[in-house]
Amino acid sequence: MGVIHGEEMVLNIGPQHPSTHGVLRLKVKTDGEVVSDIYPVIGYLHRSFEKHCENVTYEQVVPYTDRCDYIASMNNNLGYAVTVEELMGIEVPEKVEYIRIIVAEFNRIASHLLALGTYGLDVGAFTPFLYMFRDRERILDMFEMVCGARLLYNYIWVGGVSHDLPKGFVETAYQFLDYFEPQVTEYNNLLTYNKIFVERTADVGVLPPDVAINYGVTGPNLRASGVKWDIRKDEPYSIYDKFDFDVPVGQGELGTIGDCWDRYWVRMREIEESVKILRQALKGLPKDGDVHQAIPKKIRPPKGSIYKRTESPRGDLAYYITSDGKPKPYRLKMRSPAFTSLSVLNKISKGWMLSDVIAILGSLDIVLGEIDR
Amino acid sequence: MIDDRDKLIAEAVEKGLQGDMDTINGIEDRVIRSKAKAALHKAKKVAKESGTGIEDSKEETASPVDENQSPNQIVFAYLEKKIPGSVIVQEGDLEECIYVNPSSWEAVSKLLRNDEILQFDSLQCITGIDIGEGILESRYNFHSMSLRHTIEIRIPVSIDNPKIYSIEQIWRIGDWFEREVYDMVGIIFEGHRNLKRMLLPDDWEGFPLRKDYETQQTYHGIAIPKVKEEWE
Repeated sequence: MGVIHGEEMVLNIGPQHPSTHGVLRLKVKTDGEVVSDIYPVIGYLHRSFEKHCENVTYEQVVPYTDRCDYIASMNNNLGYAVTVEELMGIEVPEKVEYIRIIVAEFNRIASHLLALGTYGLDVGAFTPFLYMFRDRERILDMFEMVCGARLLYNYIWVGGVSHDLPKGFVETAYQFLDYFEPQVTEYNNLLTYNKIFVERTADVGVLPPDVAINYGVTGPNLRASGVKWDIRKDEPYSIYDKFDFDVPVGQGELGTIGDCWDRYWVRMREIEESVKILRQALKGLPKDGDVHQAIPKKIRPPKGSIYKRTESPRGDLAYYITSDGKPKPYRLKMRSPAFTSLSVLNKISKGWMLSDVIAILGSLDIVLGEIDR
Repeated sequence: MIDDRDKLIAEAVEKGLQGDMDTINGIEDRVIRSKAKAALHKAKKVAKESGTGIEDSKEETASPVDENQSPNQIVFAYLEKKIPGSVIVQEGDLEECIYVNPSSWEAVSKLLRNDEILQFDSLQCITGIDIGEGILESRYNFHSMSLRHTIEIRIPVSIDNPKIYSIEQIWRIGDWFEREVYDMVGIIFEGHRNLKRMLLPDDWEGFPLRKDYETQQTYHGIAIPKVKEEWE
């Protein structure tokens, strides 16, 4: 008996499709229902971020960084701020550092909740999505309290933050954490160990560590493959070296190391670690201090270039800034983690069914705003 | 007879080691000649091994890394030693980066990836930049996941003939990074298997991040609004 080869078909997914998490187009070559090749076409959301940055001052770049990764704007602001501060040699007050860590970690939780909720949606679980969005909403309410915006904050500026924390924020934050911690158990009961969910994700789309490194994959996706690499631990920026937290890595508990379930599970455990950091940061938050004290009147970094990495919820977010001593950046390049994560999609989805490709794509947690910039 | 043969071989090998191959080639008996050659090969190998052994131990004593040196300085010295002429010396720049000669980038990139001491297994970022005066630069940020060190490498090329060897098959992420640099700055990566535009439409004209770029008047019949230079 010989193998029967059917005719290959090219299927076009997107650019407008709910499971592509934005305007992503996938040219999928299929043999029956088995995928043999994927060619991602990106750029539908390109807003010439880097070109714009060359025409605005350093202060004016901050709102643009918001709009790159719109799920985790605080982390994008933070990455940009620490990069420019290092280039200029600015020391920020301790209070500002604590506030930054608090909002960045809250944003990490919000981002992971969105990633996990929509991932459940991708593989057919509707209820956990509602639960996670309910809790994410409370974090967005807190951000509204802090800076008046729910999604695009423009909060962390070079040298400081735009507003001090409002009265009653710390209490609200503690209330939220007390409420939120038991919720993780609920998510686990609802989704994590759900038989159907495990069947759909365990052993699917395995990403070996050497492939992940070669494709520049970072963040939770890399850690799920068993590589312990977290910029917050290995190359601490801001005051992350003051906090005690673990770096969860994939262990292949229900399948193979680096499968979709591991990528999901690493994010879930990272939420718990973020809660740990938040409790320590809220405890150590200094009462007094002016958050505008270190904001420079004029931002004119000395001539030179800098490449600085920070850990966004999606991985290594880096800014490459070249300054020629003028108030506008000479060249600003953003190294976005979702861009590199998406590039590995073709490699790890060959040979899987079309429905599994949706599961693999969802597990990589991409944000198209950041890929296209 | 046997003693004679052994003597003959030993004599030929000794002469061969000194560089005189005529004695071996002059042996008339084919069997003895091949035996002598094999013996010579073996002898040379032994000599080489013991020789490199000595060199290795020398290197070990000499190589303890100077803690005060930045990774860039160490890698710079190492590349200069391994591939002479591959790096461009420029004063005061070594804190930031290493300038590599475009013509030796192929050899250097392979060395960076595979060398025991370097082991740069992760390509972090490629930035294309127009530094003015007709020079484009491709800037690479490398990181080693196993040894945890980072360097930056810059390759300058002329804007009239911006060609650089593609590292797409050494680090696979280079595929997309190089396409983006081509898209934005117009550096052509030689050997790239699919060098198309990444973020802009395929029929876009010009390279937007070059400093002499001028916005098109219209795109597919749609008028493009003028960029405001200053905010009033």
